[in-house]
Amino acid sequence: MKLLLVIARKEFLQAIRNKGVMVAAFIFAIWFPVFTTLGVLTGISGDPGTALGGHLANLSVVLAIFMGYLFSSDAFFREKKDGTIMTFLCAPVSLRQIWEGKVIGVSMAAYGMTILSVLITVAVAILLSPVGITLPLLLLVHVFVILPIYAAASAGVIGAAQLYLGMRENQFLGMGFIFLFIFMVFGLQVLISPEGGITILTEVFFGLMGIVLLLVGRRWAGRLSKERIVRTIA
Amino acid sequence: MIRAENLTKSFDGRNVLSDVSFSVEKGEIFGYLGPNGAGKTTTMNLFLGLLSPDTGRALVNGSDLATDDEARRSVGVLLENNGFAERQTAVENLRFYADLYEVADPGDRIEELLVMTDLLERKDDPVGTFSTGMKRKLGIARAILHTPDILFLDEPSSGLDPDAQRMVRDLILSLSASGGMTVFINSHHLDEVQRICTRVAILAGGRIRAEDSVARLTASGMEQTVLVVFEEGQATDDAFLFLRSLPMVRAAEREDGGVACTLGGEGRAADLISALVAAGYRIEEAKKRSASLEEIYLRYVHSAEEAS
Repeated sequence: MKLLLVIARKEFLQAIRNKGVMVAAFIFAIWFPVFTTLGVLTGISGDPGTALGGHLANLSVVLAIFMGYLFSSDAFFREKKDGTIMTFLCAPVSLRQIWEGKVIGVSMAAYGMTILSVLITVAVAILLSPVGITLPLLLLVHVFVILPIYAAASAGVIGAAQLYLGMRENQFLGMGFIFLFIFMVFGLQVLISPEGGITILTEVFFGLMGIVLLLVGRRWAGRLSKERIVRTIA
Repeated sequence: MIRAENLTKSFDGRNVLSDVSFSVEKGEIFGYLGPNGAGKTTTMNLFLGLLSPDTGRALVNGSDLATDDEARRSVGVLLENNGFAERQTAVENLRFYADLYEVADPGDRIEELLVMTDLLERKDDPVGTFSTGMKRKLGIARAILHTPDILFLDEPSSGLDPDAQRMVRDLILSLSASGGMTVFINSHHLDEVQRICTRVAILAGGRIRAEDSVARLTASGMEQTVLVVFEEGQATDDAFLFLRSLPMVRAAEREDGGVACTLGGEGRAADLISALVAAGYRIEEAKKRSASLEEIYLRYVHSAEEAS
């Protein structure tokens, strides 16, 4: 556990000191949710709290996935591309520990940015809404349980893919992967809750789906070999 | 300490290493030489467990580093990339590796290494702001941070100025002499290898072409060459023609104000000088020359290329 935290700390510091990624993450965290939320507020016909809660639940999952992708590119793809990971692979830690430590560090940064986005969006919605808004309590479960799972699942699956694939494949498939990820989650979610609100059922669905994705990433990382990583660097 | 047993490795059907075997004993500084694409880095990656051999074994301290995580504790590594998180400071980077290797008293050890590599003043600067040479020096500090038994260095002097190269050479020599550290160096820098390595192997075309101490390698297999400088005013052209006519001289070339004679067969330097003196030539200076490691290296590499 101590080694995981050592690796996670390093990855977290690297992530939050990457000015380019932080600016991109910040813009995406503010611009996209605030504008879509304003759009939702203008078209509300029923209870604004329920409508906003459902909207935020879906939106924040997209954000967590995107932030996981954004920060994992630096931790996995760049380290592989410039060869830094080779020295790391020579240290007395297993490949699985490296993956887990990186996922923890990256998802901490991604989750932090997602929380910031949710807070700002809620604040803007409350300030600009002509009527009072009472958000559903279930949104707290969503924010504190579901979102970290998605930030970690996104970083984990994409990180494993980046370690597994070659440099060219990574460049082509990176964004494709993230859209596939998002459409898969929401395609299934529409089947569970066609009206799009936040319910115990949707939270259970999101939770199970997130855990499955996280386990897929972990299993993929477990099947990786150092040889595969080294030979796909060039 | 380090043993390659019949290592064979191919990539996509292309043979990179063929039946490579050698061993390095404790305290040795072993130079692993070869042209680009010869398989040097592949061999090092096999030892480090980053690649798996098709056949044979690559053992470090009797362990296969690909499967034995704990055995990697006794190994220090400096690869082509220095392996640093560029947005973190020198101290943060060293602290990270100190924690991974569970170094006792990491603060003191890190300071000691930063002083040794002359980087103490830059300890709180992000590594991304360092020059290539500074990163290399920090990379060496990182590689020896946990006082490993065995050190693998890939082109350790790459990007270093002459002062820093000297620092690295002295450091490697002292680690081997006082700490008994075994050092495996991949290098193109033949002068550096000749100065510090106790033994070398020359790899070409995926096979070991020569393996011995530097002294034995440079002495063996080369014809004896004698440089003769004549007293001022002597007709060197005449002497040159005379030397070429001697049966013991296989080749003669004008060089450094004298004539360099390559002796063939049973020819000895003393016989050559006697013949010159008997013919009335006055000799200012005569010295035997041994081949440099570079000459030996090129000879083996070229003969491997011709053979293939």
